[in-house]
Amino acid sequence: MGSILEVQSVSKRFGGIIALDKVSLSVPQGAVVGLIGPNGSGKTTLFNVVTGFYVPDAGEVWFNNNGSSERIDGLNPNDVFAKGIVRTFQIPRLFKSLTVLENLLVTPLQQKGENPLKALNPKAWGEEERRLARKALSLLKRFGLLEYAHVKVSELSGAHIKLLETMRGLMTDARLFLLDEPAAGVEAGAAHELFRLVKSLQGDGYTFFIVEHRIEILMQYVEYVYVMHNGKLLAEGKPEEIISNEKVIEAYIGGGSA
Amino acid sequence: MLPGYPFSVINFLLYTFFYLLFSIPLTLSYRTTRVINFAHANFITYGIYTAVFLNGILGNSSLFIATISAFLVAGIMAVANHVFVFKPLEKRGASMNLIMIASMGLWIMYNYVLYMIADIAHAMIGMNFISYGRITYKDVPELVVNGVSLSPTFTAGLLYTSAILLGLYLFLEKTILGKAVRAVSDNPLLSEISGIPRDNIVLLTWFICGGIAGLGGALWTSFSGTVTPTSGDAMILQVFTVSFIGGLVSLLRTGIGAVAIAFIENIGIAYLNSLFNVPTSFRPFLTFLTLLTILIVSPPLGAAGGLPYRFRSKKVKEK
Amino acid sequence: MIDPIGFMISWLTIFGIYSILAITLNFESGTSGVTNFGKVFFYGLGAYTTAMLTVYLFLILNGIDVSKTPPYDIKGIIYLGELANKNPLLNMTLLLLSFMLAFMIAGITGYMLSYPIVRVGPAFVGFTLLSTGELFRIFLQHYDPAGGSRGLMSIPNPFAWVPDARTRELLFLLLVLGVLTLTYVTMHRLVNSPLGRTLRAVRDDEVAALCLGKDVPRLKATVLFIGSGFTGIAGSLLAYYMTSVNPDMFVPAVTFNVWAMIILGGMGNLRGALLGSAIFTFFDRALSFITPQLGVTIISPDYVRGFMVGFLIVAVLLYKPQGLLPEGRVETPAWEEQASFNKG
Repeated sequence: MGSILEVQSVSKRFGGIIALDKVSLSVPQGAVVGLIGPNGSGKTTLFNVVTGFYVPDAGEVWFNNNGSSERIDGLNPNDVFAKGIVRTFQIPRLFKSLTVLENLLVTPLQQKGENPLKALNPKAWGEEERRLARKALSLLKRFGLLEYAHVKVSELSGAHIKLLETMRGLMTDARLFLLDEPAAGVEAGAAHELFRLVKSLQGDGYTFFIVEHRIEILMQYVEYVYVMHNGKLLAEGKPEEIISNEKVIEAYIGGGSA
Repeated sequence: MLPGYPFSVINFLLYTFFYLLFSIPLTLSYRTTRVINFAHANFITYGIYTAVFLNGILGNSSLFIATISAFLVAGIMAVANHVFVFKPLEKRGASMNLIMIASMGLWIMYNYVLYMIADIAHAMIGMNFISYGRITYKDVPELVVNGVSLSPTFTAGLLYTSAILLGLYLFLEKTILGKAVRAVSDNPLLSEISGIPRDNIVLLTWFICGGIAGLGGALWTSFSGTVTPTSGDAMILQVFTVSFIGGLVSLLRTGIGAVAIAFIENIGIAYLNSLFNVPTSFRPFLTFLTLLTILIVSPPLGAAGGLPYRFRSKKVKEK
Repeated sequence: MIDPIGFMISWLTIFGIYSILAITLNFESGTSGVTNFGKVFFYGLGAYTTAMLTVYLFLILNGIDVSKTPPYDIKGIIYLGELANKNPLLNMTLLLLSFMLAFMIAGITGYMLSYPIVRVGPAFVGFTLLSTGELFRIFLQHYDPAGGSRGLMSIPNPFAWVPDARTRELLFLLLVLGVLTLTYVTMHRLVNSPLGRTLRAVRDDEVAALCLGKDVPRLKATVLFIGSGFTGIAGSLLAYYMTSVNPDMFVPAVTFNVWAMIILGGMGNLRGALLGSAIFTFFDRALSFITPQLGVTIISPDYVRGFMVGFLIVAVLLYKPQGLLPEGRVETPAWEEQASFNKG
């Protein structure tokens, strides 16, 4: 099992601030890996570099897609998604005027009906639309959201919103999920449910790379953890090792706020 | 030798003053309130017309009185906009886009109200306010420097612009109130938590921003040959482009933009006119080209929306 | 003297033309979130393309030397008037050519203009497009072949060869309604398709859409191409209807009127756009019939009308932001699947 994602010595600065300083890490295929660190340590910046929001000033990002490795740093966010990487946001970004079902239906790539000329002829895309609808509906059923299919996203509860944002990637062939603080703003029970879902999807072969502040929840579900501090990789290892790592403890209590 | 010297240079400086007076408030207002105000042109126009009515109806010939009155009128307009339109919309969670469209509606309303006022004034006094000539103010001297005569507008412009820029700098950097304004602009959440009354700060900011633009408008009446109710609109391309050069948030870059656009429109067009016979009325095209260039080469992303998308992204390499 | 049939024909023709503007603006700014404050620019492009194509070709194909007798010259104008009804085939051919050319020129201009603005926020988009309209007007005022400030007159109506005036008006109305129907059906299909759904997603959160693989810049460019293309055809219809074009016909107030229409009618709703257009054009026509009866007033009624447009925009946004007809959902077969899924 090789690594699905490799970050090699990536650096990024904004004006005078060094956000990422020669960060290197790798995420093994099929694993659930955590990324923690105090506020401002560069976690979200790293996600932004991997998903194409930023171009790194130095270093490379490689993605292993079914056997062949490709360099993905510098690609635009939509191209990164097309390679098979999905991300969620700290404050979920769903499409507020669309319903739950429509939010899922938007996700698949290259739908026939998205071509303007084909869109004019309902017969050209009708079949695919029905097929995608059935797929979306089964997903909703699997995750207990079927009754909300016609509900506008703006009326969902926080936990359901998080759930929806996390699982919409399943409408495509996405294989790597980057989750940005999935437990933020939800109560513990819902957070644990989300993580249990992550583990069950891991059983289906998906890989998860998760940024999380609520370490007490995260540590129960990940097999490997990276710790960042001040833009650098501070430590890495199994959850048990990290919790008792002195440098990590100091970083949280001393340098930044948890 | 610069073509058109010395007039093109004097005009360049004059327009720098005006663009500073018009655009700095636009940037400051967006930065603090996050509202894109298309009714900004009305501050200028109403400033102009405050001076016009003071002169035409009351016979005022003091630039000082005209500018102070214009400051007050435009400042109150800005506050009214906030109280009656922007704040209720914000409270209802309207998007920035929607508020911007509402400011469009305000722009239209203000324009026609002015036309109606001009009509009424015309009916009452018989003077034509739809097209008004240059006002000669008696309380500002004309200077002669090195054999070149500098109009009263130049002197007043220099004085006002320097005073206002200096005043703004001191206010924002050195006073507690000014620092509160900066806190609200740069970190709205934190400033709320720190107990800064955001709404009062926003009101103050609008008052100042509208006021300065209005003051600039009053000054404009001493310079422009003819003013009409669309005089402010005629300059929005330049005024907004200057603020866009500052990305709508940087006051320093807005200032640089003012100098740049004033330069392009006066000295640049003079070059093009003497070399290629481009008519001087084509100066807005130069500004527009500048705007397009900025949008393509260095698009202002982040503060006022934007996509992290590069047109020429790196090619994918196989291992 | 009120002529009810004349009023209806006149109102419906203007309604038809403006509805095309309203529907396309609704598609661009309502459904897709591209804040188009420069609608009038593409309108004018279509109108002037049609005007110039028609008057120049008319003279040339009738053997007149346009370098000596240009169409904006008084002699040229007289020739155009005399020749307008001689050759029906010429009129109809020019009509078709004008439509195609107006669509392409307006559409391609829209597509190219999207390049600097697809990445930046709505303020920059709206403002840039607003400026293009104004610059277009300044350019036209100096461009002699387009007639400069006076513009072009005596544009031969495609139905000039029809002897009866009322029949001519009716035929033209049918043409306008035909184009409107085509535009409406096109927009309806686009909006109720996966493309329409994706465009709404782009409107709601373009960054999220980008992260979900959508090529947002290309989508916006496509929207501007389609919207501007049909707008160009509306301009073409206007040129023929008015039989003249001049720069002062294409002022920002036109754009604002269309915005008021879609805000009143309901942004994102196609029938809302039609409703808004109907209400506006009706009042406009009604007022222009009544105003001459009012005599002299202190305040020009034009100003009151203009004020109402702005006031309406602000009032609707404050009190009923979705407008009269709120946005519906994207109608695709997916809903049928949902119904049967729930049963099974």
